[in-house]
Amino acid sequence: MLSYVAQRLTLAVCLLLAVSALTFSGMNLLGDPLVNILGPIAADTKNPNSIALIEAAEAEYHLDKSLPERYVRWLGDLVRGDLGVQFSSTGEPPVSNIIKERAPRTAVLLVMAQSLAVLISIPWALLAASRARRPADRISTVTSFLLIALPNFALAVILKYLLAIKLGWFPITYTANDPFLSRIYQTFLPALTIALPAAAVYQRLLRTDLITTLQEDFILMARAKGVSKWKVLLRHALRPSFFSFITVFGINTGALIGGSLVVETIFRIPGLGTTIVEAIIRDDFPVVLAVVMIATSVFVLVNVLVDILYSFLDPRVKR
Amino acid sequence: MSQTQASLRGGPEPLVSVRGLRTLFATERGLVRAVDGVDLNIHKGRSLGIVGESGCGKTVLSRSIMGLLPSTAHREGSVRYEGHELVGKSVGSMRRFWGQEMSMVFQNPMVSLNPVMRIGEQIAEPLRIHLGMSRSDARDTALQLLEEVRIPEPKRRLRQYAHELSGGMRQRVVIAIALSCGPAILFADEPTTALDVTVQSQILDLIAERRQDRNMAVVLVTHDLGVVAGHTNEIAVMYAGKIVERAPTNELFANVKMPYTRSLLRSIPRLDDDPHTRLHAISGRPPDLIDPPSGCRFAPRCAYARERCHVEAPPLQPTENPDHVYACWYPVGSAEFFEREEELVATGVHVRGRQ
Repeated sequence: MLSYVAQRLTLAVCLLLAVSALTFSGMNLLGDPLVNILGPIAADTKNPNSIALIEAAEAEYHLDKSLPERYVRWLGDLVRGDLGVQFSSTGEPPVSNIIKERAPRTAVLLVMAQSLAVLISIPWALLAASRARRPADRISTVTSFLLIALPNFALAVILKYLLAIKLGWFPITYTANDPFLSRIYQTFLPALTIALPAAAVYQRLLRTDLITTLQEDFILMARAKGVSKWKVLLRHALRPSFFSFITVFGINTGALIGGSLVVETIFRIPGLGTTIVEAIIRDDFPVVLAVVMIATSVFVLVNVLVDILYSFLDPRVKR
Repeated sequence: MSQTQASLRGGPEPLVSVRGLRTLFATERGLVRAVDGVDLNIHKGRSLGIVGESGCGKTVLSRSIMGLLPSTAHREGSVRYEGHELVGKSVGSMRRFWGQEMSMVFQNPMVSLNPVMRIGEQIAEPLRIHLGMSRSDARDTALQLLEEVRIPEPKRRLRQYAHELSGGMRQRVVIAIALSCGPAILFADEPTTALDVTVQSQILDLIAERRQDRNMAVVLVTHDLGVVAGHTNEIAVMYAGKIVERAPTNELFANVKMPYTRSLLRSIPRLDDDPHTRLHAISGRPPDLIDPPSGCRFAPRCAYARERCHVEAPPLQPTENPDHVYACWYPVGSAEFFEREEELVATGVHVRGRQ
């Protein structure tokens, strides 16, 4: 178990280094943060006053240094827990303040979305598998394909229209200053928008694995013992069928962090998704890197948890 | 038919009586007649062997009697268990019988135990369902059952998973589960095929012992006549969904009638054979059960078949012993059989004197 943790930690560190190095150099190859820091002056390279300002700004933000040097400096700060200043005229607020303010909103959104996806997909898959290749299962297949194929902004608009505007069950927008519980309530609809397509994917996988498991001899054996149909599904078939489900759950976490951006925009949630888009447009490297680091860490962490979960699901997997 | 009926009598009221049982599977290629008109009696405390090649419908027959079939299967005819007609009963109402009145031991203990459930829990499950035992009572009974099937260190096994046990031990666990609620009849479907030769006889002896102790009927399904020889009272030989010969075990081995049964017997290797004796094999494969041959279904593979065999299906008829029935126009011992045997020996196809 200890060597496993050590191995995973090494892997996580390597992954974080690779992702940050690639993001860092990628952004610096194409972007020019000076425009954001200085405004129109940055383009005015003939005026000596402007040139002085540009050189001052470059020195302040270390933009005059070579790329590897800047990366190492950034990395050193990161290790000390300093995410640096954002690339704006004042540099305020510092990146860590932005993250502290916005990350919890996205965290709530995604935790809620993944929980909803799991809660929806398991009973759905059980129903579909127990009626495999019968009409109910076919309707479920069409529904799941529809949800997977539908772009999430369209789904967001449809849900918003139906559940918020027509039925009035949920608030239309998100208000950052509201108390915590009402913000949770306001997050439900955006979370559902992310959850439904994810649930459809999880349901497909779990259904297929359940159908395979139901062919196994130990299922026939359970039936021969007189176990009822639903108990066979829940007690015997479900647990050995979870492998693809949790594998994709882990990998999908990464995709959902990316996908949250559209949903955050439509439901006006000032979370990490909207933050990173704004930061990319402004060539605000420190903010982009901070969000990327958080997303990568969460992704690695979730997948480590999935790995540990394997050994709980199946005693044959050595810990 | 009346002859068939006559041969099905024999002693007291049977525990299970099967009449005209047919099991059909709807497949994309057509209707598969896996069991095609079977009559059988299974008596309390007795052991019946169902023998035949793979694909002859033995497994489907045993599952059809028990009603343990996939939803694509259709059952016709009659299976009476202690006065209850089982054909036509819903899966929901069959559950009362499964595990409690009739239970089954499957072929491969590597895959017939749930890999992610502790052994103790799997044994306790039917006890809790059928006998309404509490968790702790069920655990105590599970422990007794493991002792009964002679598993070493039974207490430790309760907490273990299937993959931590050897094949023979797993099959003992499967037997413990099958015995748990004291069934009146145990179906053992090739219970030793997946096991080591040395373990095979231990498992068969265990089943025989439990049968005697509990006065339980046993249906032993196997392709291996050697397996049933010492462990059954009666044998039914199955071919292409039909029973082609049925007799008390000693009678069958002494006085085989059906050439198919004879071929099965000849394909058992024997210790007193000369070294390098070629093992007899039945050429060809069992017929397609979607479109079985007309007449006797074994005729296309039978060295003794004549014109009549290909046209007219032989009924089951009794020998001098009314408990011994066979379906053959030219059985072993008939004039036509000997005539053909002489020809075969003359052409070197058969070796004389080997039964």
